[in-house]
Amino acid sequence: MRVVVTGMGIVCSIASTVPSFTRALRAGRCGIGPVPDPGDGGPRLAALVKGFRFRDAVAARHRLPEETRRSALRAASRSPRPLQMDLVAAMQAFEQAGLHEAKADPERMGLVVAGHNLSSGYAHDLHPKYEDNPAHLPARFALHFMDTDRVGTLSQVFGIRGEGYTVGGASASGNVGLINAARLVESGAVDVCLVVGAMTDLSPMEKRGLATLGAVAGVEEPHKARCRPFDEDHEGFVPGQGAGCVVLESARSAAARGVTTLAELCGYDLKLDANSLPDPREEGEAKVMVNAMANAGVGARDIDYVNAHATATPSGDLAELAALRRALGDSFGRPWVNSTKGLVGHCMCAAGVVEAIATVVQMRGGFVHPNLNLRHPINDDCRLAPGRLRDADIRYALSNSFGFGGFNTCIVLGRER
Amino acid sequence: MTDAQIFETVKQNVLKVLPDLRPGDVTTEGTLTDLGANSVDRADVVTMSMEDLGLTVPVSEFQEVHDIRSLVDLLARHA
Repeated sequence: MRVVVTGMGIVCSIASTVPSFTRALRAGRCGIGPVPDPGDGGPRLAALVKGFRFRDAVAARHRLPEETRRSALRAASRSPRPLQMDLVAAMQAFEQAGLHEAKADPERMGLVVAGHNLSSGYAHDLHPKYEDNPAHLPARFALHFMDTDRVGTLSQVFGIRGEGYTVGGASASGNVGLINAARLVESGAVDVCLVVGAMTDLSPMEKRGLATLGAVAGVEEPHKARCRPFDEDHEGFVPGQGAGCVVLESARSAAARGVTTLAELCGYDLKLDANSLPDPREEGEAKVMVNAMANAGVGARDIDYVNAHATATPSGDLAELAALRRALGDSFGRPWVNSTKGLVGHCMCAAGVVEAIATVVQMRGGFVHPNLNLRHPINDDCRLAPGRLRDADIRYALSNSFGFGGFNTCIVLGRER
Repeated sequence: MTDAQIFETVKQNVLKVLPDLRPGDVTTEGTLTDLGANSVDRADVVTMSMEDLGLTVPVSEFQEVHDIRSLVDLLARHA
């Protein structure tokens, strides 16, 4: 069964909608900037969402029925901001998929929220209140601290009554969600599935922990630091705020509803690496790329573009390019390769969904976005996108996501066949 | 702290939790349920009002609350 993309939505540091995301990718806009020194040795750079106002963002979805907008405000006006961003991204995707007009059977609609440990920042912010007087914790805390609150709230707003849950795979969570949703559609469990790359609200303690492992950029000299995927001076990732939503659907359902198909999810693979560490491994990464291409029925020479996981950690970038060489063989230098994380930072659990959206946007727009801060490439054979926009005819693309603990994933996206 | 002050605090929190209401909708005669509050909304009004008033009321005592007047009375006993 063919699985297609019929809707997309995004809120991140460089865009508040998919059209503005498209413009920002073309322009190579960077959402990364300095943040106040937390004083704990944690990261001093981040790609933050600025100027987000939930009420305005809901009002902007004026093509949706008023009842949906009212329901969103009722359900989430007092929810933590990360949930509000997830909901706004999902409203955009729901609208683009035309689910408010050509409706799907509520029991044939699924909802997969990709991510885990999503609300630690929220819990951290409430801790002083708890220390002061536990009785004054908001009653909603018991709902809001759970990742599944995103599932419950979004299902209520959209009236989704089919299968739904959260799935996790560290930084690969987004792709884990897309793959799970594709399986729900392929198995016939649902006709339509919203996949939400959930905004990950890291607490200062967690960010400090990542810095301890040497994974983040800009701890020592933030004024010099950048996110530099594939550059010899790469020094780690920059945390990014972002939420994305993709509507996956069977081709039959999309045709029956008469909606436009944006792209096809042609294939995928997800394999564990039997490895609890944060260490990326070439062999396991290559394996999922090879298997995903086989699953899609395409060969290495068919791939025109790779949206790399490329967080800008030295070990990660090197392992990924070695894996790409192994997976693509003689075609290694053929496809364009770039990293969206150079523009929006590492959106953690949402990254896979954000990057799937970036891939579809570039495929449909016929371009590859710049690799920012790439001055001295770590590899001369790979066709790394330069620091400026390039036209590109993309028929098939890979989008990689790898996570601490050995989560290796790759999806193949294609223009509709 | 007067009952009127406590009611005003409760009323403001009801309006925060249920922003579609008009201020005149909230009276001591009514119940939160009739105003459209669900179980968590009602609990939110309670915790927010306790915080604003600087009070701590044991959770078990809220079982006796059946309308806005009895909520105000309970908070007043602990003030």
